[in-house]
Amino acid sequence: MYWVSVVTEAGIFAILALGLDVIWGWGGNFDLAFYGYLALGSYMTFVFSIGKPTNSSTEYIIGWHLPVLLSMLLAVVIVVGLAAIIGAIALRNLRDIYFAITTLAAVYALYLLVANYTPLFDGFNGVYGLINPGQAALRLTYNGYRIVLLVVVLVILMLAYLVVQRLSGSPFGRMLRAVREDERAAAAYGRKVFTAKYRAYLFGAAFAGLAGGLFAIFISAFNPSAWTPQELLIIYAAILIGGRGNPRGVIVGVFVVYIGLIELTRYLPSPASRPDFSPALRQVLIGLLIILMLKFRPAGIFRERPGVDPEQSPSLAQPLPTVAPVAEVTADDGGAE
Amino acid sequence: MSNSLLEIANLTKSFGGLQAVRDCTFSVAEGQVVGLIGPNGAGKSTVVDLVSGFTRADAGAIRLDGTSLVGKAPDVISRLGLIRTFQTPREWRQLTVMDNVLLARRRFAAESLWRSITRARSLRREEEADREAVRAILERYQLADLKNELAVSLSGGQKRLLEFARIAAAEPRLIILDEPMGGVNPVLGSRIGDAVGQFAADGCTVIVVEHNLPFIERTCDQVIVMDLGEVIAQGPFAGLRANPRVVEAYLGMDQSHV
Repeated sequence: MYWVSVVTEAGIFAILALGLDVIWGWGGNFDLAFYGYLALGSYMTFVFSIGKPTNSSTEYIIGWHLPVLLSMLLAVVIVVGLAAIIGAIALRNLRDIYFAITTLAAVYALYLLVANYTPLFDGFNGVYGLINPGQAALRLTYNGYRIVLLVVVLVILMLAYLVVQRLSGSPFGRMLRAVREDERAAAAYGRKVFTAKYRAYLFGAAFAGLAGGLFAIFISAFNPSAWTPQELLIIYAAILIGGRGNPRGVIVGVFVVYIGLIELTRYLPSPASRPDFSPALRQVLIGLLIILMLKFRPAGIFRERPGVDPEQSPSLAQPLPTVAPVAEVTADDGGAE
Repeated sequence: MSNSLLEIANLTKSFGGLQAVRDCTFSVAEGQVVGLIGPNGAGKSTVVDLVSGFTRADAGAIRLDGTSLVGKAPDVISRLGLIRTFQTPREWRQLTVMDNVLLARRRFAAESLWRSITRARSLRREEEADREAVRAILERYQLADLKNELAVSLSGGQKRLLEFARIAAAEPRLIILDEPMGGVNPVLGSRIGDAVGQFAADGCTVIVVEHNLPFIERTCDQVIVMDLGEVIAQGPFAGLRANPRVVEAYLGMDQSHV
C-alpha cells in the first residue's frame, strides 16, 4: 500500500507540474506563487465539503456540505480567480526576476494570512475531515479505496496530459512559445503579449487548483506545514530534469524526482544520531541532479519538440547539393558594410 | 484623399533632457521605397519605434492610411498592416524556421486557447494552406532545406533571410526595415536588395533605415534625411548631393564616393 500512496502523490504532482509547465515552460514566466494555488485549491475543497466546524475551538469559512466533486470544481474556479488577480498585477509590466519576486511576495502574503488569520482556514491547525469521500457509497475497503483513488488520479493525469499535449502542438502553443522567445518580435507580428501570457497563467493555475482538490482527498487534512513555498522548487527541478516545455518529459521528470530520489533515499541507512540525514541528502541529490542535467543535457530527458513539418519541400525531392549556397555565402559575415 | 500611406506631422519625443525627435514631418506615398538616413543619433530609430508603437510620442500625429497610430500598442499597429524589423534579427530562437514563418502568417483566430483544444484537428487542416504558402516562401529565400531546424541554429545571414521570409508571409501594407544591411556581406546584400524590390513589386510600401548609401541609392525612390531629430531634406537620392545641409550633416567625406 505504501507504493500505491507514493505513486498517487507523484500523479497529483505531475498534474500540478503540467500546469506549471504551460506557464513557465511555454510562457517563460517563472511563477513562484504556483504552490499557493495548490494550497488554495486544497483548502477550498475542504471548506466546501466538510460542513460546519464540529467544536467551538475550530473555525473556518463557508463550511458547506457539497459533494466532493462539486467542491473541487468550485475550488478550481476560486483558484483561477486568485490567479486572475495576481496575474493581472504581475504579468502586465513585469518580466523575469521582477515577475518572480512579485509572485513570491503574493504567495508569502497568502501563506501568512492563512497561517495567522484563524477565521479563514483555522490557522496552523488547518482543516481536516475529508476522509475517503465516497468509500461507503462505493462499498470499498480502505485499501480498495486507495487503489481506486490511484486509478482516478492516473486517469485525470492522462486526461490532463492529452489536453496539454494537444495544446502544445496547436497554434496557441506555438504563439505562446513565440512570446517566450521574443516578446517584442511577437508584438511586432500582432500578438497581444499580455493576453497570451495571462491566458496561459489562468490555464496553468486551473491545473494547480485541480491538483489541490485531489491532494485534499489524498491526505484528508491540510495546514500551513503542508505547503511551504520551497515545495515548488522540487516541481521546478522535476520539469527541468524531465524536459521543460515537453508534457511527456514533465510527467517523467516528476516521477523520476519523486519516486527515484525522494522515495528511494528513504531506504538509505541513516545514522541513528542524525535523523535529518536522509532529507538533507535528498536536497543535495536534487541539487546535484539539476547541476548535472544543466551541464550535460540542458533540454532535459525529453527535449521540447518543435513542430516538425513532415512535407518534403520540392528541393529535397532532388539530391541535396553538398553545401547549401546560403551557408557558403554567410560563412564570413561582416566582411563588408 | 491623398495617396500618402504614412503621414507624420510635428512628431516630437524626448528622453529626459534629450530631444531625440523634434517637430518631425514627412509622408510616404503608397507603393514607394523610401530611405531614412542620417548620422548616428539623428532620431531614425526613435521614429521607427514611434511609428510602430514601441515608444509613445510626446506630441504630433502619425497616420497610417488615415488611421491615427498615436497611443496604439505595437500589436494593434501591426494588425493595421505594418511590419517592422529590428536592428538585430529577432527570430523566435527555439522555434523551427517553419514555425517562425507560419507565425508570421498571423492567423490570430486559430490561436484561441479554447479552439486550440477543442478543434485541434480542423485547425491543422486549415493550416495546411498556410504551410503550403510558407514552403513556397522558404524556397524563395533558400531556407526550404532548413525548415525543421531551430532558428537559433541559423547563421547570421540566414537569420536575415528568415526575417525577410517572415515579412513576405505577413503580407503587410507597410514595411519598416531597421538597418537590414548591418553585418551583411555583398552577396547577401544584393539578395536583400532584390527582396526589397520584390516587396515593392508586390505593392508594399517600404521604409528602409540604413547607413549603406549605395544600397539606398539602388533600392529607394525617395530619401528622407534626418539630423539631430529633425528632417532636413526629402527627395530623390540624386538631389541630395546638391543639398549643402545634407552634405554637412551626413554625406561629408563620403560625398566623393556616392
